[in-house]
Amino acid sequence: MAAAKPTVSSFFLTLASSSNDPSSSSPTTVTALPRSRFLSAGSSPKFSIAHSKPSFVTSSSPPRHKLPVRCQQQQNPPSIPPEQRWMFEESEINGPDIWNKTWYPKAADHISTEKTWYIVDATDKILGRMASTIAMHVRGKNLATYTPSVDMGAYVIVINAEKVAVSGKKRTQKLYRRHSGRPGGLKVETFDQLQQRIPERIVEHAVRGMLPKGRLGRALFTHLKVYEGPEHPHEAQKPVPLPIRDKRMQVQK
Amino acid sequence: MTRVKRGYTARRRRKKIRLFASTFIGAHSRLTRTTTQQRMRALVSSHRDRSRKKRDFRRLWITRINAVTREERVFHSYSKLIHNLYKRQLLLNRKILAQIALSNKNCFDMIFNKIINQK
Repeated sequence: MAAAKPTVSSFFLTLASSSNDPSSSSPTTVTALPRSRFLSAGSSPKFSIAHSKPSFVTSSSPPRHKLPVRCQQQQNPPSIPPEQRWMFEESEINGPDIWNKTWYPKAADHISTEKTWYIVDATDKILGRMASTIAMHVRGKNLATYTPSVDMGAYVIVINAEKVAVSGKKRTQKLYRRHSGRPGGLKVETFDQLQQRIPERIVEHAVRGMLPKGRLGRALFTHLKVYEGPEHPHEAQKPVPLPIRDKRMQVQK
Repeated sequence: MTRVKRGYTARRRRKKIRLFASTFIGAHSRLTRTTTQQRMRALVSSHRDRSRKKRDFRRLWITRINAVTREERVFHSYSKLIHNLYKRQLLLNRKILAQIALSNKNCFDMIFNKIINQK
């Protein structure tokens, strides 16, 4: 009954065993689907009830890091004897149906500690173009796993924020407005003045305008870290240089 | 005239409505008038969103495909991919493309290369 397969671990499907399930062996590498396990053992109450059911040998789902859900051929399809097929759901026999259900990330697919950290040096970069790329990465729109309702993006660090560049006469003419809420409380500042006062705010303002407005957008904004000089406290996250595609982002001197 | 009580018809009607809204939060599942209103809104949303669902998902697939095509290849984009798909008369739809891109990146790369190499 239990087909002996070399790479397969057999486990009794009780609730106890579900605790050592895939979530603990979550892969360290990022990318795509791998994290969503199709056999969330212990979720089905049938298993715990019938202990007398013969233990069948299943694969420990797509167990390894980069093993995403395969199209139709599971490498180790669980070998359920035909007379027991009725006990199990379709998804447990053949794996999740990826052709009729669009992928939606599970909690294991967007763990904050496993997200990528990017770093950008803002020296002489055009403000808007840089902010646009940053926003794309923070939101996660460069990934195949993009989901509008879930935070799938990466963290971005911006250093040397006071050296960010703008073209034309924007340095003296671009206005930043804010209102205190009281009548007559409109405060206006030029780009230059704001750069003297609080240089980080310029980049933050730019990126915030490009992120979605709402609860998720505000949460995304907290993934942006802007610093004034070349130092930043995130060395432990080992940030990677942000890939920049735009040729016109760097000011040509 | 004899006195006529209205009987149980109203109660039975409201019971059905309450059953529908039994999982709603707070007063929306407890107070009769509120329950009726919430049921109406729920049904309206459901009707409207059945069409929206088709649009939303297509949007999502397109965004995902776009992200994947732009990832390593600098000058490619969703629009070019679809154009070439149609030129080669491939019948893959966006849903399948997106799911392939997610689950089996190599497969997607193969498809992509096939399409662009033989424009």
